[in-house]
Amino acid sequence: MTPSFTQPGFARIVGVDTPESALCHALAVRLTEDVDAEALRHRFDTAVRRWWPGPADRTPTLWSEAVPSARGTPLARHRLRTEMHRPVSRTGPVLRAVVLTYADASRDLVLTGHRGTLDPPSLRVLAEVLTGRRSPDPLTAQPLPAEVTATPRRTPSGGRRVEWGMGDAQAGDRTDVFRLPLGAAAGDPLTSLSAAAVVVLSRYEGREVVRTGRVRSPASRASEALGAFDEVAVLTVDLSRVRSNEDLLDSLSTSPDVSPQDTAERRPDVGVLEVAAAAGEADIPAELPCQSALFPLTLVLAPGADGTTDVEVRHQVRHVGAAAARAYAECVALVHRQLTERPDGLVRDLDLLDAEAGARQLALGLAPESAPPRPRRIDALFDEWAERHPGAVALRRGDAALTYGQLRERADLVAAGLRLRGVRPGDHVGICLDRSLDLVVTMLAVLKADAVYVPMDPSHPPQRRAHIVRDAGLRVVVSDLPDFPGGDGSVLGVAELVRAGGAGGPAVPRRGPGDAAYVIYTSGSTGRPKGVEVPHRNVTGLVAATRDDFALHPDDTWTLFHSSAFDFSVWEIWGALLTGATLVVVPYDVSRSPTEFHELLVRERVTVLNQTPSAFGQLMEADRRSAAPLAVRLVVFGGEPLDTRVLLGWFDRYPEDRCRLVNMFGITETTVHATAQTVTRREALAGTRSVGRALPGWRLYVLDPQGRPVPTGVTGEIWVGGAGVASGYLGLPELTAERFQPDPFLEGRRYRSGDLGRFRPDGSLEHLGRLDDQVKVRGFRVELDEIRNVLLDDRAVRAAAVLVSGDALKDAATVRIDAYVVLDGQDTEAVRRRASRILPEYMVPTTLTALDALPLTGNGKLDPDRLPAPATPASPPKATAGKPAGLSGDLAEVWESVLGVSVGLDDNFFALGGNSLYAVRIGSAMRERGLPALSMRQLYLTPTVRALAADLDQQRS
Amino acid sequence: MRLAGRTALITGAARGLGRAVAVAFAREGADLALLDIAADLPGVPYPLGSASQLACTADLCREAGAGVLTGTVDVRDLAQVEQAVAEAVGRFGELDVLVTNAGIAAPSGRAAHEITEREWQLMIDVDLSGAWRTIRAVGGRMAERGSGSIINIASTAGLVGYRHFAGYVAAKHGIIGLTKAVALDYAPRRVRVNALCPGSVRDDPRVEGRMLAEIARSLDVPVAEHEETFVQAQPMNTLIEPDDVAGAALWLASDESRQVTGSVLTVDGGFTAR
Ligand SMILES: NC(=O)c1ccc[n+]([C@@H]2O[C@H](COP(=O)([O-])OP(=O)(O)OC[C@H]3O[C@@H](n4cnc5c(N)ncnc54)[C@H](O)[C@@H]3O)[C@@H](O)[C@H]2O)c1
Repeated sequence: MTPSFTQPGFARIVGVDTPESALCHALAVRLTEDVDAEALRHRFDTAVRRWWPGPADRTPTLWSEAVPSARGTPLARHRLRTEMHRPVSRTGPVLRAVVLTYADASRDLVLTGHRGTLDPPSLRVLAEVLTGRRSPDPLTAQPLPAEVTATPRRTPSGGRRVEWGMGDAQAGDRTDVFRLPLGAAAGDPLTSLSAAAVVVLSRYEGREVVRTGRVRSPASRASEALGAFDEVAVLTVDLSRVRSNEDLLDSLSTSPDVSPQDTAERRPDVGVLEVAAAAGEADIPAELPCQSALFPLTLVLAPGADGTTDVEVRHQVRHVGAAAARAYAECVALVHRQLTERPDGLVRDLDLLDAEAGARQLALGLAPESAPPRPRRIDALFDEWAERHPGAVALRRGDAALTYGQLRERADLVAAGLRLRGVRPGDHVGICLDRSLDLVVTMLAVLKADAVYVPMDPSHPPQRRAHIVRDAGLRVVVSDLPDFPGGDGSVLGVAELVRAGGAGGPAVPRRGPGDAAYVIYTSGSTGRPKGVEVPHRNVTGLVAATRDDFALHPDDTWTLFHSSAFDFSVWEIWGALLTGATLVVVPYDVSRSPTEFHELLVRERVTVLNQTPSAFGQLMEADRRSAAPLAVRLVVFGGEPLDTRVLLGWFDRYPEDRCRLVNMFGITETTVHATAQTVTRREALAGTRSVGRALPGWRLYVLDPQGRPVPTGVTGEIWVGGAGVASGYLGLPELTAERFQPDPFLEGRRYRSGDLGRFRPDGSLEHLGRLDDQVKVRGFRVELDEIRNVLLDDRAVRAAAVLVSGDALKDAATVRIDAYVVLDGQDTEAVRRRASRILPEYMVPTTLTALDALPLTGNGKLDPDRLPAPATPASPPKATAGKPAGLSGDLAEVWESVLGVSVGLDDNFFALGGNSLYAVRIGSAMRERGLPALSMRQLYLTPTVRALAADLDQQRS
Repeated sequence: MRLAGRTALITGAARGLGRAVAVAFAREGADLALLDIAADLPGVPYPLGSASQLACTADLCREAGAGVLTGTVDVRDLAQVEQAVAEAVGRFGELDVLVTNAGIAAPSGRAAHEITEREWQLMIDVDLSGAWRTIRAVGGRMAERGSGSIINIASTAGLVGYRHFAGYVAAKHGIIGLTKAVALDYAPRRVRVNALCPGSVRDDPRVEGRMLAEIARSLDVPVAEHEETFVQAQPMNTLIEPDDVAGAALWLASDESRQVTGSVLTVDGGFTAR
């Protein structure tokens, strides 16, 4: 049933999930002694007879009630407040009038109305009439609608979500209220409040075009009328079209409502409301603009102390939590002040945070205790361990092993060999070796030769290697590959270097810890791979930042699981060798087989494991099948977003006190890791997206496009500063200058990550994906991760991947969300059905394809290129054969032409790939054919041809 | 407060369990529509609630902070019930909780074949049909709105038999059946319907209870002896207090029980566990 309102505007801002109380408002007036009870009753009866003579069940009654306590006592105040918050039903009497008589014989008259039938000024006028201060004669009342549809049935709200709201899903209909001073207003106070709300919303949502609601009494309202005259506007403001604060205020006061009618699909999250200047008693206002909140965040303009203005903030706790509401309101107050004080200022210069709040925000990104680590060279730190325990095993692969002493010796030989072959300090030396002991030996040797190593994966395509050879200016490449594309440099084998090195002696490196140690190539989403140059001290700093917290110890055994061309391996290798631990080199084919890798972990008694979440998922499977327990005490996740919920089964086998799981967010450009979040069962149950706080020495920023810190809970771009920031991109000074910018708060520079995130109040960072991954589906911002999370919530789904396809620019209706799932029995239709109960319609995947396993890249991340073409949109078997006649036949034809698939009478519109844009097209195609009018809502309620035809038929007759 | 902003309608609210439930609800923030016949009923051998008792319950609730509406209603008359419900809706907007509590315990004390046609009709009319009529007047609104909690005060007599109480036992068994059926009617509309079965409740002077005494009188045994019998029969060896029943009703009224419907909650010190 569509909610219908006498005042049609409200349908645009209020939905079936809005409590009736949001539209109800109240007025309390103290009855002075001269107001005689009998006279009041008489005036009331006259008024009712004159204005609302309708049916008995809609006729208002004057109730009176004794309150057994004096005015002002807690009980009396409680009664007054309750009375003012008691909704009136739209189907019942048009208003409620109650006289509360307190124990001290004083009285209050409480009038309650519904904005659908009576607006706040009507109640004010009525109160004057009832108390004899105004003659009823010149007044006229709007007739009540002959028939009002019943209160809409409440449906549990799905779909609506205020992105920055940090709402409490458990809060039900609860509304919380608080007040903030707004200061003096310039011009129309509701306009400046709207303007401030708009600016804050635009910054919060990260877009120029925003929609807010506004409800007020129009200036044209006749003062002698009783009825529903609120002006309900949805303001659509494009901030890219206004420059100065003044422009903004002007545009808001002149173009009240520029949003097209049919965008009612999404109701505004924020709205403003005016209230008349009536002072209340103690903490109870004399006028209550709405009993709950008209918008998830409702800003009510309210008179404050000594002529100033306050904003009363009413927020639906389910959608906007207490902290978010307060933060938003504080931003509004600050912006409001700037708007009124600096009319000629620029809108883009408006600050959301004052100096103090800004400083607080910046402090959030700093690790609690972070003395910068002492800069060291990698090889120097390694040599200390070799000195301390030369007999301890440093490297092992199968039966082969090297002690710290042997490793140093062999690396010294290779280093000498490299020098003899002409490698000079600071030279780039390529390494293209299989995962072997010599791979690590060579890395160490290059550092000892005072050069910079450039790892290449032997399994990568030759063109990529050729690019790196050219780009890094490699004159020497260490490789055993017979066909390595040499260019004009020389390709040397390790054995050869060892032999040659015998002739030379060890040399002491002259370059310092701030000089480059390695260059790793990353492939961005566009362009060629770029070489990231990372100094020694970043790596030693990373080990120093984690050593104590992770209790890294010489007794640990680590694995070298990842390709040397993926910087996760930097952490694996040097994390182990710079803490005196043993590093087990995992052969490539073992790393590809979860079962064999599991066996290796058991056999080698590995204690520190580093994995991408995708690879760990497969390892958990292998672990479930295996009887042999692992000795792992620390798992570090990196390289990919982690869905913590899949870890629950792991905790059952490996409780938190036996094995610690740490999720780390980082980027090659900031040296592997930048944050750490320990994940326990509680985080997993909550499905946390937190990647934790900054590592000691690292620093996080969440900034808006202008580089200003954004408030807690608001999404911005993640910047990383501090100990891990790389030197830059090799040979790309412009790109380096663009992405690595001077850090105004720390020594050095900060790196602009291109990742989206937001701070939580405790300073932990929520990672929200790549900036360029942000997708819009029919105008809605969609986070693919969120869809994936919902799919993973389904017990039948073991793994899931979600992608977007189609071209939003060419035809928005073709944009599709394709989901791939690994199922535990069950079919995709059931999964889809359950997901559609949780996700808003525009987020429900268009296709769902079941796979046996998700394809992974060599680095263990999801490989989207190897996903198969999606299954065609699910279409259950046709219920009827042949072409049906009549309306349903016509409808089916229209659907087929619009949706481009064949349509059975009982096929669900959404299961066929339908969405709101298609719905609009179906509506107009029906109009063209002279078929009955179709509302969007109707299509949503009766989403099959058969049901829709039956419904339309019924309406016609 | 667990019922803040809610409105409850209670029948048989002048005294006894109705009063205990009303005051408990008021303390938790509810506003109340209190209905009672507030007059004696020919054929019932003991005085029913009075107008003064109903006003007293109302005052107790107001002192606890509630807004209160009272109505004089005989639950045997559908029109009267509907009229009172309409008034309550006018006053309070919507009704969130309904407690069908009005009931009589006598005429009783005789074997089935000794009950007259009129006595039988009276008992069923008040104790069973009265509950149905109130549900009829309130349930539709709740279903339309998609929320509500209906609590039918039955009795352990709705679960087991009592000698010489055929009419009462049949009516209370009927309440349990009514509860389950209506629960199914309304479940899709999120209106919950549950039965509450008190065991033998002490006649607490604070709520002016007299049911136990009247039952004893019907059976022609001294009140003290009857009390003692039930102290022995109820495994926890005490009588039930009105507040124990009110506490259970409060839980059924609140959102804490929001998935509970069609259930039968006994507050009988273990009597029916045997
Ligand atoms: N007290 C007990 O031990 C006990 C045990 C189990 C169940 N119950 C049930 O609890 C309910 C309340 O019992 P109580 O002990 O409070 O009894 P009570 O007699 O003290 O109160 C019952 C109230 O219902 C009212 N009433 C009776 N007939 C009515 C009618 N036709 N219309 C409107 N109001 C009417 C009476 O006026 C009275 O105020 C009854 O349904 C009873 O069967 C009581």
